[in-house]
Amino acid sequence: MKTAKRQTAWWVPAGLIMATVGFWGLSSAARDSGGSGKIAPEKVAEYVHAVIEADRTIYTTHVVDRMQEKGITSAVEHWEQQNALPLPAQFLQYSGRVAAEKGSGIRYRLISLWPIYQRNAPAAEFERKGLEAVISQPQRPFTGTVTSGQKQFFQAIYADTAITKACVSCHNAHPLSPKRDFKLNDVMGGIVITIPLP
Amino acid sequence: MDRGKDPKKKTGRWGLKAKLILSMLLVGVIPLLVGLVMAFLQGSQRIREVSGESFKTLATETARKLDLVVGEEMVRASRIATDPVIISELEKRRDMLRDLSQDQRQTLLLEHATHWQAKDRTLVKTVVESKLANLLHRYYVGSSYDSDQPLPQVARSATKALFLTDSTGSLVASLTPDVPYAHGHTPWWQGAYNKGVGTPYIEDVLFDDRVGAYVFTISLPVMDSLRYEAVGVVHRVLDAKEFFSPLTHPIRFGKTGHAMLIDSRGIVISCPILPTGVRLADAALIPLVTLLQPGWVNAPSDGHGGQTRSIIGFAHLPEASRATNGSLEAGAWHTFVWQSSDELFAPVRHLLTWILAFGLVAVGLLACLGYVAASRIVTPIRRLQEAAMLIGRGELREPVTIQTGDELEDLAVEINRMNTQLEAAFAGLTDQVERKTQEVQYLQKATDEILDSVPDPIIMLDLDEKVQYLNQASKDAFNLQQADMKTASLFELLRIDEPSRDKLRNELRALDNLASEGCEPVSAARPRSSGRDVRDPLTPQLTSASSADRKELHIGKSVYQYEWFRISTPPGEAPRLGLVLRDATEEARLQDQLIHTEKLASLGVLSAGIGHELNNPLFGVMGLGEAIQDETDLNQVKVYAKDIIQHGKRMAAIIQDFTGLARAGIKGRSVQVDLNTELSEALKLAQLTGEGASLEIRTDYRPVPTIYARPEELRQAFTNVIMNAVQAMKGIGMLSVTTGVTDGMIEVRIRDSGPGIPRPYLHKVFDPFFTTKKQGEGTGLGLTTTRRIVMKCGGHIQIQSEEGRGTLCLITFPVTAPSPEREEPK
Repeated sequence: MKTAKRQTAWWVPAGLIMATVGFWGLSSAARDSGGSGKIAPEKVAEYVHAVIEADRTIYTTHVVDRMQEKGITSAVEHWEQQNALPLPAQFLQYSGRVAAEKGSGIRYRLISLWPIYQRNAPAAEFERKGLEAVISQPQRPFTGTVTSGQKQFFQAIYADTAITKACVSCHNAHPLSPKRDFKLNDVMGGIVITIPLP
Repeated sequence: MDRGKDPKKKTGRWGLKAKLILSMLLVGVIPLLVGLVMAFLQGSQRIREVSGESFKTLATETARKLDLVVGEEMVRASRIATDPVIISELEKRRDMLRDLSQDQRQTLLLEHATHWQAKDRTLVKTVVESKLANLLHRYYVGSSYDSDQPLPQVARSATKALFLTDSTGSLVASLTPDVPYAHGHTPWWQGAYNKGVGTPYIEDVLFDDRVGAYVFTISLPVMDSLRYEAVGVVHRVLDAKEFFSPLTHPIRFGKTGHAMLIDSRGIVISCPILPTGVRLADAALIPLVTLLQPGWVNAPSDGHGGQTRSIIGFAHLPEASRATNGSLEAGAWHTFVWQSSDELFAPVRHLLTWILAFGLVAVGLLACLGYVAASRIVTPIRRLQEAAMLIGRGELREPVTIQTGDELEDLAVEINRMNTQLEAAFAGLTDQVERKTQEVQYLQKATDEILDSVPDPIIMLDLDEKVQYLNQASKDAFNLQQADMKTASLFELLRIDEPSRDKLRNELRALDNLASEGCEPVSAARPRSSGRDVRDPLTPQLTSASSADRKELHIGKSVYQYEWFRISTPPGEAPRLGLVLRDATEEARLQDQLIHTEKLASLGVLSAGIGHELNNPLFGVMGLGEAIQDETDLNQVKVYAKDIIQHGKRMAAIIQDFTGLARAGIKGRSVQVDLNTELSEALKLAQLTGEGASLEIRTDYRPVPTIYARPEELRQAFTNVIMNAVQAMKGIGMLSVTTGVTDGMIEVRIRDSGPGIPRPYLHKVFDPFFTTKKQGEGTGLGLTTTRRIVMKCGGHIQIQSEEGRGTLCLITFPVTAPSPEREEPK
């Protein structure tokens, strides 16, 4: 229990760092926008996505891979019970949850057309279309404005590709995975970034 | 061998048969006991391990089963939470509340809460009969689910409440009106809403007053259509026992084995034995069975009130535990599988009892077989033992017959052979012993006869002065009977004075010490003097001093000389000593007569010498007296008178010399004397004479130690020798006087170049009145006096001379001066 707490604790500051960087991005973007004092949500989403991508890549290559190569520990799905590291996808999901719990308003999460758990399926039609779009054009994010009741949000969906063999092998082998023929650099899903509009 | 005791009759000891039987029993019983103990320990351990693993597996499977059931209920709740109608309605309510100001919102909610508390029918109808409430009811009855997933009856009956709240925790829709209105402060709502992020939340078991039972709740956030934020919470209250008992209670094995569900606090959620809501009796057991890994433990208690060690399997619900209390770390649910130890280990005890019973039967059989085997072994051994005893007594007449076909039979054959050889050997040996015994007796008798035939008394005694043997001469000499020597001391037999007794005791002790130190005994007899013993008849004998050293005893009127001798004794026996006494009474008497005769002879020689010396001047005096009678010339008379005076002086000198010889050394005391000084003084005296003045004198005085003597005596001795040399050289020649130390002796060498002493006279020069000088020139007493003085000082004088080549007088003194006590008796 204590070890699990310790392992949980480290990604909390990681989320804080990302949230801070996200805000720094927003504020710096606002300064860069010139005299209007506003920044385009597409730009904000791009900044945030860059940070998320960078953090997950660093975690995957410099933490998970090295730990596994040295035989110290490995990344597994039930990492709390097995005293191990979270999977990179879990890392992103948990950091998104921590960032949301900070109350800044920004949300980001992983979604897929072939989710292992249904909670990671697209929440709305926009997200479904966005996933289909990034699968066909991974280099281009799918963006748009959506509403929840009277509230308006900007959403950007970025392609999430299988950057390592571990991603491919895990999804292809998981009993709950609906798709088991992923290959390296395939688009497995997308990172959806939601920014509330005033 | 101890003939007086029969080994069979010895008590208090184990016989060979008993030892053999005991050995066989021990050989059988010890492995049996060790095997039993090891089997019990190993069996118990194996049962613990197998049971533990089985319990762990059962707990894991039970946990999975329960996890699936809880997961299904969460899925059903999530269907409500993801219903588009519900989401849409709650989004609208969120937007409505957001459009209000803070105060308006609080006022509105407070007003609704008050109305709900008052059971305002409009509000109650709005909540309980609204579109959302109907939707909840359809989900509750199952009509909103797919046809293939109907809500189980158990889940439906266990559901005690199902309602929706908005984003403020206020009640929006409910199946029943008996629920509170505001829930924003409750842990389950705050956990599920989670600051708008939304998290599934399963609340631990607690007693619900409205339901009247222990319940657990499932709360799921209702996310908006974008899954951006929570717009409400769907909350479901379930009776814990009613929900879980159909799952846990059928899991029974044996009489006591079962599975139960507990939370992380040790509160029982469902158990076939314990009621829901109670805590495990042993708080120390809780951390052992609430780990996040499946396992089993050999716990100090059973968790059901028993304090016996118990095997408990446990596992946590993997997925449901992620939501219990909001997260895995906040507390999980665990299955607990247990069976009574008495029941668990009953097979081992049963097996042990049977093994023990069979073991006892085996021990009995072993004892019987051991008795038979021991009898077969011991019987021939006893026959061999009896045969050995008979051999020892020399009474074995019949050979031992044993037909076992093994080593014992070989041993019997060997014993028979040994008996035959012993009989032959003993027959010759007995004759030899008898012959040797007779020889010893003859030798002893001969020794006794020899000792009895010895005329001198011989006494044998031990070191405690106890007399052990007396020969016949002793008995005769001391008038002793055979009975007197029994336990008699030596000094009870020998009636001697106290000094003699002490002397004998000291000598006995000295011999004892020598014997104890392992030294050869030294004869106590005084060593015989070597060389020619020249005796000066005028020198008084040291009778009183030597009598103490003489080994003589005065017993009665007899004088005995005695000698000690050692007697060889066998090792281990006390040493013995022998004392030989010789009757010296007659010898002592003859010795005294001889000394007396010798004195008279010496006096005769002395008198003859004196007479001879005095006779010539006396005749001269007489002749001159007669001439004076006839002489008329007065001058001639004076000449005669002068001659008479010369003769008188001559006679006076002779008498003075004699007196000096006899009385020399009476005056003066012995002191440390430097020989060189005394030699110088003597040389000066010699040079005063007319003959000495013209001689060539060479001296070589080396530093020599002083000696203890009377200086005037020593000077006289040196003067005598030097004057002899001076007179011998007649004024022509060389006189050499040297001193030195050679081989630890002080040497004084006085050498002259005179005519020397003829060989016939050389051995007489120390005799009294012997002289080669003319009548009237010497008395013949000079060298005699000198030798006596030198010997008194512990020295030695020697004259070496060769005719025509001079004379050497060599005088030596020991470096260690004689003690002052050694004085000539007055």
